[in-house]
Amino acid sequence: MPPTPQDLLPLRPIDFLILLMVAPRERHGYGIMQDVLEHTEGRIELEAGSLYRTIRRLGDQGLIEESARRPAAEADDERRRYYRLTPFGRKVAMAESARLRSLVRLAEAARLLDPLPGRARA
Amino acid sequence: MPEYPRTRPRTRGEWIYRALLQVYPREFRDEFGDAMVEFFRDRNSAARAEGTISLVRLWWRVALDLLRNALPARADALVRSLRRVRDYHRAPRTAPSLGFLRQEDRMFATMFQDLRFALRGMRRAPGFTLTVLATLAIGIGASVTIFSVVNGVLLKPLPYPEPHRIVRAQHLEPFGTVSEPEFVDYKREAKAFALLAAYRTAPVTLGGTDGEPERIEAAVVSEDFFPVLSRPMALGRSYNADENRRGGPFTTVISHGLWQRRFGGDSSVIGRQIVVNERPRTVIGVARPGTDFPNNGISIWLPMRLNYDTLWDRNNHYLELIGRLAPNATVERAGREIQTLARRFQRDFPDMYGGGALITRVTPLSNVMVADAKPYIITLFGAVGFVLLIACVNVANLMLARGESRRKEIAIRSAMGASRARVTRQALTESLLFAIAGGVLGLLAAIGGVGALRALAPSSVPRVDEVAVDPMVMLFAIGVTLLTGMLFGMGPALRAVRDDAAESLKEGGKTSSGNARGLGRMRRTLAVSEIALAVVALSGGGMMMRSLWHLQAIDLGFRPDHVLAMRLAPPQSYAGGQGAALYDRILERVRALPDVEKAAAVEDLPITDGNSMWSILVDGAPQTSVAKAPVAMPQKVTPDYFETMGIRLLRGRSFTEADRPDAQLVAVVNETMEKKLWPGKSAIGGTVKLLSEQMPWATVVGVVRDVRSRGFLEEIPPTMYFAQAQAGRIAFYVPHHMWILARTRGEPSAITASVRAIVREIEPATPIARVQTMDEAVAASVASRRFTTSLIAGFAAIAVLLAGLGVYGVITYSVNQRQFEMGIRMALGATRSRVVNHILREGLWTGVTGAAIGLVFASGATRLLRATLVEVKPGDPLTLVVVTLVLLSVAMLASWIPARRASAVDPVRTIRAE
Repeated sequence: MPPTPQDLLPLRPIDFLILLMVAPRERHGYGIMQDVLEHTEGRIELEAGSLYRTIRRLGDQGLIEESARRPAAEADDERRRYYRLTPFGRKVAMAESARLRSLVRLAEAARLLDPLPGRARA
Repeated sequence: MPEYPRTRPRTRGEWIYRALLQVYPREFRDEFGDAMVEFFRDRNSAARAEGTISLVRLWWRVALDLLRNALPARADALVRSLRRVRDYHRAPRTAPSLGFLRQEDRMFATMFQDLRFALRGMRRAPGFTLTVLATLAIGIGASVTIFSVVNGVLLKPLPYPEPHRIVRAQHLEPFGTVSEPEFVDYKREAKAFALLAAYRTAPVTLGGTDGEPERIEAAVVSEDFFPVLSRPMALGRSYNADENRRGGPFTTVISHGLWQRRFGGDSSVIGRQIVVNERPRTVIGVARPGTDFPNNGISIWLPMRLNYDTLWDRNNHYLELIGRLAPNATVERAGREIQTLARRFQRDFPDMYGGGALITRVTPLSNVMVADAKPYIITLFGAVGFVLLIACVNVANLMLARGESRRKEIAIRSAMGASRARVTRQALTESLLFAIAGGVLGLLAAIGGVGALRALAPSSVPRVDEVAVDPMVMLFAIGVTLLTGMLFGMGPALRAVRDDAAESLKEGGKTSSGNARGLGRMRRTLAVSEIALAVVALSGGGMMMRSLWHLQAIDLGFRPDHVLAMRLAPPQSYAGGQGAALYDRILERVRALPDVEKAAAVEDLPITDGNSMWSILVDGAPQTSVAKAPVAMPQKVTPDYFETMGIRLLRGRSFTEADRPDAQLVAVVNETMEKKLWPGKSAIGGTVKLLSEQMPWATVVGVVRDVRSRGFLEEIPPTMYFAQAQAGRIAFYVPHHMWILARTRGEPSAITASVRAIVREIEPATPIARVQTMDEAVAASVASRRFTTSLIAGFAAIAVLLAGLGVYGVITYSVNQRQFEMGIRMALGATRSRVVNHILREGLWTGVTGAAIGLVFASGATRLLRATLVEVKPGDPLTLVVVTLVLLSVAMLASWIPARRASAVDPVRTIRAE
């Protein structure tokens, strides 16, 4: 029986982070690394080995896939690999996001977090 | 596959990176190699743009990344490979070949196939499997168990820092110990020693404020003793200079065992006062658990407090020495220095040292501690090696037999395309599987065996608490298992390759092909070798058993049966004349007990206690030097001693009540002393005195049989007996620590409680140090030897049993092979008994050949046992003859059973079956 999104939760932080980065658009490896670096304010700097092992693992689980190759931004005749979410991957990312949001709500209720503006206090 | 050819490396850095990527498994590289190179390119150009520091940082991170991920990536690849193999097997097969799997998966696939095949084979023949596994478990289990003893006692270094630098300095001849001035001289002059310490052991009384007074064994040590061992304390500390000096505070260090037993492991024991030999001492330290020095019986260490200003006489030898070598000194150099100093002593003090040279020796401590046990342990290891070998041969035989019965199956596989290599690999896999299974079972058996050994081993086996199944032993177990597997696996594997497929498939190929005969020959050869091995093992075991029997049959010189011995240690106030009166009172009450025939007291018990030799003068000889005077061992006894112990009086009389201090001073000597000091005539009427100036002469009034003292085999020393009452006048002091002996009509231990009650009533402050029957004492002194000999004999018996099984297997097989032939013979008129005899002859031939070969080796191999044999020569003919007869009968019995079975078979049926 194929796994449901719930079977894979909770995701490892690094896995979720990568899914987040490729969710809006396809990215190649280096780009993913840069996005992660920027979004974590320099705290997480992925290296090739860790990155591609994770990508492989996510690929084995059916969450991301390689998309068609496209030429590099710099025009020097190279073709890079791009990665994107699979439909199943998208479902899993959404499920994980929902899980995290409910956790945040609990944290707000416990006054560990200030609620975001625009939302009433629970 | 990549959509475009890989571009060439751009920079030197990239080239290096590509090379480093080789660390990753090929599968990973195929999939992500390009991407990783791209990644690196981007990072590289970005870093170069930023400067050298960024570049350095990049390479640092690359290196870390590699280290962190290469191994896990390889592990991942392995798992994926295995998964692919598994999925492949699950999916419906469309072609019988394995071409659909990748190259690296193929190895796993074939391995799995071989394993499944082997497991199926094992399940289908449960009897065979069980026999093989049981045999292997016995062989491997026994060898691992004994190796754990070898490891714990002989191989593991002592639990002290740098144990190889700790040495023992001994005097060998003519004295066994060292005197105080000699020790001081050695300490000062022998530069090869960084530290040198002296010690002696003595029993002491631990005062009974919180319990009964207790006799414990103490070691009295000089100031460098603990630094020599440099083993840290469990609690507290060891002595400082002040405490080991005359005039300093009285302190003590206790053993871990004593701490647990008497003080409940309470850490507040440090600083507490305990009473030792009526003197209060402060406990300053508790030793670590484990091997105590100088022996495991030591419960407490006391400072020696040598007074360097007034040392005892140079000829008063009683100390043992232990030292730590200086940083660049060797054992040899230390030995030379000590010997040189010894020679100097002889030159400077000729009166003290006789004509004979003072021989010294310096040996590493580890050698000393295990010296006695070493030959036994090694013999044991050898014996168990035989068991393992025979077990391997047995299993090899069994495997060959099975290989024979599966020839058709293997032939079909070969015909269908399996290569020779494949068939061999399969046979090896099977052997390996058996070996590993047998090894695991053997290891489990060994764990149990080690536990049993530790429980049963007598305490005289050194370092027995270090015998355990530790990593080293496990490593040995793995090694033995693999070696065993190879040994018995080779045979069938080779045979499997050599068989001619076409021949095997022919009808009747079983009995008529040359292959079968060749196989039968190989198996018979193996059986012969098993018999030979068993002969050697049993010879060794037999000789050791005979030694033990001799030892136990040695005439002790006294009768240990029905004698109870109880060691009393009355307080110091009884030193001096009062001791005699105390023992008189006690003995009077003991004699009044209903079951007691005779009772007496003696200072040192034969067999268990030793004593030093004192210099004496004989028959009015003038005062002379220690070097020139004869020596004898003194013993102080009460009247009735000889009768109580059953020591025969040869001539004259023994002591009586009349021998009081004011009466004539008398002595009794043993045969050896008479022969030595009054050669050719009777000692009665002769006189003897101790070498000291003020000692009076005593007249010899009796001669008694020799009695074995400590160490069954040592030469019996000249011994002189004095009456306890008179000892104050002729032998320096009246002993007050003595053994009470009582000869009973019934069981000696039955009166223990009564005697204890008597002692408690007469003098409650007297601790009873030890209670045992003389039988127990005698048995204890051979306990260690008896233990190992029993083990060796047990292994020899197992070896014989296995060899018998081996012969049985071979004969059965050969009978099966020749059933057709025998059926014809019987149909043509041969009687059953002829057939049986024929088979028995074959068994006899196997046995005789094996025995002959075995005897040749046995007479040589048992020479190695010389160190452990007592009054039995290596190559002892009686043992060899008995062993040969035993093995021959085993071989005959093993042949008789299949012979009977064969003769009971209906010949017509046999012929039809072909």
